[in-house]
Amino acid sequence: MSGFFWGALPYIAIAIMVVGTVYRYQTGERGWTTKSSQFLAKGSLKIAGPMFHLGLFMALGGHVIGVLIPKFVTDGAGIDEHLYHIIALGGGIPAGILFFLGFFLLMQRRFGNPKMQVNTSTMDGVIYAVLFLTIVTGFGGTLLNAVGLLGDDFNYRETISPWFRSILMLSPDISLMENVPLIFKAHMIMWMITAILFPFTRLVHCLSFPFEYFSRRPIIYRRS
Amino acid sequence: MKIKAQVCMVMNLDKCIGCHTCSITCKNVWTNREGAEYMYFNNVETRPGVGYPRGWEDQEKWKGGWEVDGGELKLRTGSKLGRILKLFYHPEQPELKDYYEPWTYDYETLITSPRRKHQPVARPRSLITQKRMTIKWGPNWDDDLAGGDSARADVNFKNIGQEIALEFQDIFMKYLPRNCNHCLNPACVAACPSGAIYKREEDGVVLVSQDICRGWRHCIPSCPYKKVFYNWKTNKAEKCTFCYPRLENGLPTVCTDTCVGRIRYLGILLYDMDPVENVAKTADPKNIYAGLLDVIKDPNDPAVLESARSEGVSDAVINAAKVSPVYQIIKNWHLALPLHPEFRTLPMVWYVPPLSPIAKRFEDKVYLPDSEEMRIPIKYLAEIFTAGDSQIISRTLKRLLDMRTVMRCKEVGETPPRDLEFDAYEYEKMYKLLGIAKYSERIKLPAGRQGKTHEQLRELQGSAGYICPGGCC
Repeated sequence: MSGFFWGALPYIAIAIMVVGTVYRYQTGERGWTTKSSQFLAKGSLKIAGPMFHLGLFMALGGHVIGVLIPKFVTDGAGIDEHLYHIIALGGGIPAGILFFLGFFLLMQRRFGNPKMQVNTSTMDGVIYAVLFLTIVTGFGGTLLNAVGLLGDDFNYRETISPWFRSILMLSPDISLMENVPLIFKAHMIMWMITAILFPFTRLVHCLSFPFEYFSRRPIIYRRS
Repeated sequence: MKIKAQVCMVMNLDKCIGCHTCSITCKNVWTNREGAEYMYFNNVETRPGVGYPRGWEDQEKWKGGWEVDGGELKLRTGSKLGRILKLFYHPEQPELKDYYEPWTYDYETLITSPRRKHQPVARPRSLITQKRMTIKWGPNWDDDLAGGDSARADVNFKNIGQEIALEFQDIFMKYLPRNCNHCLNPACVAACPSGAIYKREEDGVVLVSQDICRGWRHCIPSCPYKKVFYNWKTNKAEKCTFCYPRLENGLPTVCTDTCVGRIRYLGILLYDMDPVENVAKTADPKNIYAGLLDVIKDPNDPAVLESARSEGVSDAVINAAKVSPVYQIIKNWHLALPLHPEFRTLPMVWYVPPLSPIAKRFEDKVYLPDSEEMRIPIKYLAEIFTAGDSQIISRTLKRLLDMRTVMRCKEVGETPPRDLEFDAYEYEKMYKLLGIAKYSERIKLPAGRQGKTHEQLRELQGSAGYICPGGCC
């Protein structure tokens, strides 16, 4: 069973995410949008929108540092475990708070205003629940780990991070995931579910960034 | 010189009766869908008033259009990077309540209600939430100056100050039908990060590609006329298409076709693309009108025709440009003016300013009024059409009044006055085009260039549209 979860599911999830996204772009570009709801009700969006996304970007940066950069690199750079944790928590806790508070305010806005119902599909509800669980397991796990409640000998940079890199290197080492606490295992499952659902939700908007816009002429002429 | 063709509209406000037929027929064709209920690609406003959406002309609020900053033309809404940073919250974005919340009535209760002491009532229901609602504002809520408060809130009074007192005996009004201006320097196109909005090379129609649009919504505040709309259902931008499927078949837009007052003129203009940017950044906005007239070129000038042909303008389009009624009104007679030229988008829907009844205070003294003696203050018209230049308005109204004088003299057998700008024959032509022109004289479009039969077109029905195939996530 652990072979499936830690050896096969990550590939299935990533494959569905990539193929599904390409498929959706090819067949349903007309539905490719952020589904912005500012038009219906501005509400708390002014604070909550930027807050949530800033927290998201900070968390993303933290994951890149913590997961993709091997421990020996930071060790080699003279950052010991204690210093690393100070950096990680110094960035991670504000990120988590922004992220959580933003998410809470956005959900309050979304489900507290009857107008917002017309902008909320069933799939939206599902992806919000999944995102919430992903955030809770990730942030909760990090906090529990920091106060030592997950046992002193657990270090995600010696277990989860090398496992994730082994996935990327196409030689999954499932033994690394054996002694990982349940909350982090749940976090792994949640990101895989998020990846599987990604192409079929409004999350695709994060792939649209107008790089061309910065170099293009202001007025566009096209032939029909 | 780089000559392009532009489909252009002139509205003769002198004849607009404010019947809203254009709005209704347009709505029935284009925006009678879910997500578009609140949209009027074409609407008719009573002026003075706040318009639709409320206060659309207030660019302090919306940051629409362009501004000149250090000799450079810039979008008022900010630099590219500055705008991209408004990604998660855009402060200048209009909300549904700036337009109005669309509704229907519970008509069923009128039929299904059991026998009661009182008559059943059809109560309003929101078309957005499908729930009961209280109606607070609607399209044309302030039609014909209803309410009065909205007339005082007209943005154009800001620069005129106290000079126009809205006293009952001096009250005035006019109608202003509006659709997308299909500008030569469209701010919505420049503001679109996705590159979804474009100007069609062959006829200058500004369109939004529903596939490329990503719902950034930067076009909506950027358009100073607020004529790009956000569809809350498909989550994409939509706007007036100038009924391009009709244009492609040699037919006029629906609003033109159905105009009861016959105020709309539709035809081709040939314009020079090269100086467009320079005109848009004219230092004094009062000179933009003159610059815009210069950009429009004479369709009988051989040099213009040669450049047009080399740019791929077809003979059918050139022939239509030669008989263009809009060229006649705009260039030959200088009777039409662009709406708010100070927005610097160089609009291609033009307006012949309206004459109005004699003002109360001149009523006893005047039989045929001068432009200053009419009810609608020249300064007010100047705020709307000439960036505040009253002289241009006076001159335009004078020409219209001269035309009336000449026609009156002809009718009663008097000799027309000597100090006229044009000869009597020209005024008669003016009268014929502005007053009594038939459909085929008001509308001169090149014959269909699609080359499809009616059967082929019918087969295409339902194969294109705004809704995403396969539903939206």
